[in-house]
Amino acid sequence: MLRFYFALWAAKFYYWINRKRGNARDDRPGLLAYKLCPDFLARVSKPKLVITITGTNGKTTTSALVYNKLKEMGYTVSFNDWGANLAAGYCLNLLRAVNIWNKPVMDASILEADEKTLAPAMAKIEPDFILVTNVCKDSLRRNGHPEYIFDCLEKTFEALGDKTTAILNANDPISSQLAKNTGTPRVFFGMADAHTNPFENRVKDIWVCPECGADIQYNYRHYRHIGDYYCPECDFKTNECKYYATSVNLDGRTITIEENGVAATYPLISETIFNAFNVLSATAVLREAGVGAGEIAEFFESQKITKIRETCIKYNGIEYHTYGTKSQNVSAASTVFEYMAKEPSIKEVVFCLDEVQDKNHPSETLTWIYETDYEFLNSPNIKKIVCAGHMYLNHKLRLLLAGIPEEKIFCVEDDSLVPQFIDTEGIEKVYVLFEIDYVRKGGRWRDAIVARAMELNGDDPSKVVGAINFFEQDGNNTVDVKEVK
Amino acid sequence: MKRIEFLYPEFCNIYAESYNMEYLGRCSSELEILNTRHTDTPVFANEDVDMIYLGCLSERKQEQVIELLRPYKARIEELIEKGTIFLITGNSVEIFGNEIRDEDRIIPALGIFDFHSVRYMNSAERHNSQYVGKFVDEDGFELTMLGHRSQFSFAYGDFFEANKFIDIEIGIGMNPNTKAEGIRRNNFFATYSLGPYLIMNPLFAKYLLRKLGLDDTIEFEAEAVEAYEYRKAELIATLG
Repeated sequence: MLRFYFALWAAKFYYWINRKRGNARDDRPGLLAYKLCPDFLARVSKPKLVITITGTNGKTTTSALVYNKLKEMGYTVSFNDWGANLAAGYCLNLLRAVNIWNKPVMDASILEADEKTLAPAMAKIEPDFILVTNVCKDSLRRNGHPEYIFDCLEKTFEALGDKTTAILNANDPISSQLAKNTGTPRVFFGMADAHTNPFENRVKDIWVCPECGADIQYNYRHYRHIGDYYCPECDFKTNECKYYATSVNLDGRTITIEENGVAATYPLISETIFNAFNVLSATAVLREAGVGAGEIAEFFESQKITKIRETCIKYNGIEYHTYGTKSQNVSAASTVFEYMAKEPSIKEVVFCLDEVQDKNHPSETLTWIYETDYEFLNSPNIKKIVCAGHMYLNHKLRLLLAGIPEEKIFCVEDDSLVPQFIDTEGIEKVYVLFEIDYVRKGGRWRDAIVARAMELNGDDPSKVVGAINFFEQDGNNTVDVKEVK
Repeated sequence: MKRIEFLYPEFCNIYAESYNMEYLGRCSSELEILNTRHTDTPVFANEDVDMIYLGCLSERKQEQVIELLRPYKARIEELIEKGTIFLITGNSVEIFGNEIRDEDRIIPALGIFDFHSVRYMNSAERHNSQYVGKFVDEDGFELTMLGHRSQFSFAYGDFFEANKFIDIEIGIGMNPNTKAEGIRRNNFFATYSLGPYLIMNPLFAKYLLRKLGLDDTIEFEAEAVEAYEYRKAELIATLG
């Protein structure tokens, strides 16, 4: 116990110094606590409500929605929203929620958690709820394949048994099979056909029934392998849902969720199906935590996509977007490409997907590119695709093999040349698809494109610099179109 | 018409391995790709095919495929000796060894080649690395091969030194203590490298087309080779 208190005090002191220096998001105090007391997560007192949110896609947005709602209700909440979703981040999250005598001083903790390393930490934390948004293909280097991630998650529920409640996506034939035999209470959320007419993916995350090996069939799909599935040979099928979206109006941005026969309508934060799932899963978590349906609906009115994922500058009638893409996350990248095709505006798409983070470790340079559905970009509303950076030749070959007409493809190694390929008329939007960990880089590319357009038009290009602060905390994470003139 | 049998695409396509077949198929109108599902009897069991492809798969499916292929062990050995082309990528190479060791569990493999594999899923981080190596065939034809491995296991045995596919120049071979990568026996080519191996090595795609007795022009050849040369130079500069 002495060791624990020493770790707590040392880490709190370190955190206090960091806060004074404006580094409150530095998770090294958490790492220090973990190093000094490896059992820190078990010993630190927990707030009365602890929610863990994990899964391949959607955990950041869903966590933010849940956090924002609890804050709005007046809760004091600790949330590792700085991307530290491993043990050090959990330690910092929880040490912020107690005083120096290890007494809880916050009402809740939201733990956005990495799915691969979940089990050892969660076995100690024992959260009240664990939401698994989905399990999809992700970085092969780190996450291997979905079966492996499923096993990692399952170990968490095996360790916790009935000490937690699993909130699971009934439409995911992979993650919905979690905690079947662990004694963990399971709550499902799911969605009726949203008529998204998803494209077929090249690589399926799950193809055959895990029970009998027959091909999985779908009554309908929402995206990738997420949908209303069944096995024609056995009783493997979508689970009954406690939270079931009976209708989804993506254009009108509403979702009606039925719970125990009572329906309530909630606003959506964007017109995409994956964000509809984020709203649905956040609603399931908040309802399980006792928040009223009406309160949630009212709150979602103010919520939009996190600014870090999408920003927009408008100039001379053209919208210039940055759009987070997660290149090596195959499911996320394919979903973004599908969105680029289905979003009807006449657009040009820029790949700021040069995997600069992996330049010294380029193990995934080809696999993810050939798993991702570049074919989706072969759409009449996409006028040009511009690629730059050291991956340019790989992107070019893949785009050609995907059937994109050569005259639409512009690839250069030097990214400073990107703006000269972008048209300043005849298009409605430009999307700069950027690596999610390189927000500022995506912003710089976009700003350079806008600056050139302003220059060509005789305007002062310096006006675009700093037009958007990607990390500013404005309470509701809104993404608004910022117009420069 | 030449026929390539792609074994179990529903299992062996976790890192875009199917693109190896798609690419070859697109390179020649004289090629037919036969997709054999795990519920079907392999075509090679009763008929000759010109090439057989088996790609990377999850550990559970790997054990399943061992059992699916076990009845055809003698036939596979016969085809290897006859010179049928085999391309085996990723951890499917382990299927052809004696056994796979997974902590206390021993999974008997096909036992066609004399080596064993060891899984480290629960005790170590996934291994990720790239390789640059040399492939030299019996006629002295030489190719620089590029590979990227991402795996939970390694293979061990003296077998590899005399039966390697590639001499590694940068990176590791079948385990961190050897520069011998993969297996080459007649036209049986196996490597731990995963994903779209023939896109990564377009000159080897041309080599296979020639082995199949076909015109060796590949689709978007100039772009594919330019990208290969860039990657090769980058890997050598980064890792060398």
